[in-house]
Amino acid sequence: MARTTEQIDRQIANTDPELLPVGEHEKHGAKHFAGLYAAENVAGTEFVFGATFVILGAGIWDVLIGLLIGNALAVLTFWLITTPVAREVGLSVYTYLLRFGGGAISRIYNLANAIVFAVISAAMLTVSATAVQRVIGIPTQAEAYPTHLGFVILVVAFSIVAVLVAVFGFNALAEFATICGPWLATMFTVGGLVLLPAVAESVTGVTTIGSFGEFVDIAGATVFTGVTPEGEPGIGMIEVAGLAWAANSFAHAGMIDMALLRYARKGWHGLMTSTGMLFGHYVAWFSAGLMGAATAALTLTSITVLSPGDVSWVALGWAGYVTVVVAGWTTANANLYRAGLATQGVFPSMSRGRATLIVGVIVVVVACFPFVYRNYAPLVTWAGVLLAPVGGIVYAEHKLFPRFGLTEYWARFKGVTNVPAIIAWATAFGLGAVLNITQIISPYFAFVPAWIVASLLYVALARRAGAADDYTDEVRDNELFLERAQAFKRELATSLPGHVKDTSTLTRVLRGVWMLALAVILVDALVVFLASPDIYTYLTQRNTFYTIAITGTVVYFVAAYWELRRGKTLDRRAHEKARADAGSGGDGGEGGEKEPVGAAV
Amino acid sequence: MRPRPTSPARRRALPRPARRTGGLVGVLTLLVLAGCSGEEDTGPDTLTVAVVDNGDFDVLQELSTAFLDEHPGIEIEWVRESENELRETVSTDVGTGAGRFDVASVGTYEAQVWAGEELLTPLTDMPEGFDPDAFVPEVREALSADGAVQAAPFYGESSMTMYRTDLLEEAGVELPDEPTWDDVVSAATAVEEQTGTAGACIRGKAGWGENGAVLTSMAHSYGARWFDEDWRAQLDSEQWRSAAETYLALAALAPDGVAEAGYAENLALFQEGECAIWVDATSAAGFVTDPDASSVAEDVGFARAPGTDEGRPSNWLWSWALAIPASSDNPELAREFVTWATSSEYAALVAQDRGWAAVPPGSRVDLYDNPDYLEAAEPYAELTLEAIRSSDIAEPSTQPVPYVGMQYVDVPAFQSLGNAVGQQLTQAITGDLDLEEALERSQWVADQTIEQTRLLADQEDAAADSESTED
Repeated sequence: MARTTEQIDRQIANTDPELLPVGEHEKHGAKHFAGLYAAENVAGTEFVFGATFVILGAGIWDVLIGLLIGNALAVLTFWLITTPVAREVGLSVYTYLLRFGGGAISRIYNLANAIVFAVISAAMLTVSATAVQRVIGIPTQAEAYPTHLGFVILVVAFSIVAVLVAVFGFNALAEFATICGPWLATMFTVGGLVLLPAVAESVTGVTTIGSFGEFVDIAGATVFTGVTPEGEPGIGMIEVAGLAWAANSFAHAGMIDMALLRYARKGWHGLMTSTGMLFGHYVAWFSAGLMGAATAALTLTSITVLSPGDVSWVALGWAGYVTVVVAGWTTANANLYRAGLATQGVFPSMSRGRATLIVGVIVVVVACFPFVYRNYAPLVTWAGVLLAPVGGIVYAEHKLFPRFGLTEYWARFKGVTNVPAIIAWATAFGLGAVLNITQIISPYFAFVPAWIVASLLYVALARRAGAADDYTDEVRDNELFLERAQAFKRELATSLPGHVKDTSTLTRVLRGVWMLALAVILVDALVVFLASPDIYTYLTQRNTFYTIAITGTVVYFVAAYWELRRGKTLDRRAHEKARADAGSGGDGGEGGEKEPVGAAV
Repeated sequence: MRPRPTSPARRRALPRPARRTGGLVGVLTLLVLAGCSGEEDTGPDTLTVAVVDNGDFDVLQELSTAFLDEHPGIEIEWVRESENELRETVSTDVGTGAGRFDVASVGTYEAQVWAGEELLTPLTDMPEGFDPDAFVPEVREALSADGAVQAAPFYGESSMTMYRTDLLEEAGVELPDEPTWDDVVSAATAVEEQTGTAGACIRGKAGWGENGAVLTSMAHSYGARWFDEDWRAQLDSEQWRSAAETYLALAALAPDGVAEAGYAENLALFQEGECAIWVDATSAAGFVTDPDASSVAEDVGFARAPGTDEGRPSNWLWSWALAIPASSDNPELAREFVTWATSSEYAALVAQDRGWAAVPPGSRVDLYDNPDYLEAAEPYAELTLEAIRSSDIAEPSTQPVPYVGMQYVDVPAFQSLGNAVGQQLTQAITGDLDLEEALERSQWVADQTIEQTRLLADQEDAAADSESTED
């Protein structure tokens, strides 16, 4: 039975605006997504991925071109698969799944997410701890399990603090994380640059690299050699491309980034994800691999057991420790928070704080095992196989159903549990798991057939389960709901001030200062790279760079955080004024819990 | 010219599938690029040979037509660079396995260091006519590792003192047959004061194989050492200071431009009569006494390389030798070329074309049994062979050292370290640094650079301890 406009308006008024389709005023332009993805995709995980390509024995051309292909495929998937669905539906994958799939699949999906995010969080906490481990003299953990009590104590202490921060101070750290992107991108880039002369020297006896061809020869001989550390033939270009594509599979094919891309004003804004792929998954991975291999060569330690803390110290000095701690911890914090929310989604009666604490206990234990972060690439591949099929089901529900004469939201309209979606997901995951284990095809591509099977199987099963039935009244009701939701969002937009642009002199000065700090770090790294004709000049300039890097880092964070706080204060005052003017006590959402967004990988 | 942008109207006119197809075309382009990433191949009929740009290799290149006559259809691509440049070029090619060169001239240092890293093809499966026993034993041993010759000596050398007999006579000084560095400085000073001609020629050009070689052999003769047995740098020692002071004293007596003068430049200066005493490679002897090339050919005397009263003579051991990089695409042809270029037939060819004095010295034993050669090279032949044979590269200093080498240290790090220390001393010559600072910096960089070697030594010690415990 169709509802009246008043009934729908009441439902909308009682719904968290975040759970409603995105309003036009909330949408952003290309620049927003370019910045967002550039910042989101340079994280602690990049240290691990960089070393992974070296350990897997990728060749230099395999990496240079394979990463281009894999990242291009990732961008195309974001653009052609994720963005159209996200923009048209206007909801996050969690909300959309709940709406068309119902509570059962939503809970299973949340459980899967909780596991994935908890493991990512644990791996990143271990990464963070490796920096401090080196400072206090705990030996590198070469085994899959911890071999030093001090390491266990350190990781447990780190993890407990991280869990408590995620429970009680998430917003502060999340806010801090938003300013880390440009700095992390800079540090990853300069880390590789600064070590290049040392890499060249280790193989040619001279610190200079005369041409791109020479660079390729040197990197091919020392870093991306085409053989594994055990001397076995390494992975090829196809596998590199697959790994690059799979690394974000749960975000693009798995549709988790619907949460971000639903705000895209145009469809082509999905292409702006390429900034993240370029900085995070090309420059940062390559640079991290370079740093890892150079550190291994300089310290005569196998890269398979080197920790990110060891690597970053050699490349960046004290700033390297800060980089590992900040990159690891901000990534861990966000994922711990997401894991908590996902757990809460499984057990709705539980508070988020309690859910995060429970997940945190598991994270603390897992983080003690270096095995987890060293096997990050296979873990991400498994995450893709587990979560990507849900993206296939989402795609089928929204894009394929109309083509096959089926009705979107049919299960909700019919009032039944969406069993076809659960079966399709389970079958596709089973297929992906078999492919991953048997390696009939490269495991990095296992998410692709799993995604296709999930979508096609869901179409077939849904047709049999009633998706082809007539839901004219329900569809009309839904259309009215969407129309009223848009009207509500428009009204909300007029009652709240937009983002207040801070054009004050002090803010401009602060922005100039942090940009200058990054520029100085980058330029000095270029000086080390380009103007070190001999080892003495190189070593003295590298020592100077270490000082500049840590000084620049401090200056950057002071200025950037100050600017951020000023912006927040202005926004808060504008909201307070707007509320006072409207005489309303409605909360714009600051300080409240937001739904989870895609994991930064 | 900037590419003409597509107008917004045109972009809008493109149907959506066409724009998406553009993205897929981009990926396909990348895949095509991936298929095109192979390396350039010079083919099996081209031999690429990298050699030092000096007189002996000049002759080799010119006479290589004889090799080509024996191998029709073959081409040789020559890469000739000065010592410093060649070392960088060959190190990069061999170290990265780029495979550009089929034959490369390397020294005793590279033969030892690269053999340890399996970057060279051992000369074990050589064509008929290649006889390792034909080479001067000390030179052959310096080019061997793991029981196999790693590079065939094209010429071998030590160092000696070359001086202008006419100028020393005019200045009223004599140089003993076994001079000390003090003798050399005194004689050079006297010549400069009495005749106005620069008293000495000396390598001031920075580089481990340029001023680094002279400085290192000089320091060893003063009883100095680069590192102690635990690989701790020793460049702040009194012996190093004494050696460096002598080095700077000789540089002060050298012609203008000493800071840019390496072996080749000093050879030209001596041949042109621009300086009185030159302590350098024995391989220069043939060139400074060649009347066609040297204006002072009739007035050159020879003595042993200088030493000190407390230390040892500074005569080094070196060979420019022909090696086959492990990355060569054409090892069979390379073997044939190396065999030919180091054979007695080649020596006879040079003698026939240029005279016996032009034959590459110090490599083959039979050359020193050849009366024609001994006659042509009479002033220096015996002295050269004796200097080569008496160079004590295993114990270069009166103090114990953990390395081998009179004018170098046989560890991979030395190439960059020698360059860096050489650079500090060059700056001391030009006055940009005082000696104190130059040695301080040298000590610092030596300590930093040797860290990896030290770690390796520790690992080897630990492994040895572990083995002995198990036994």
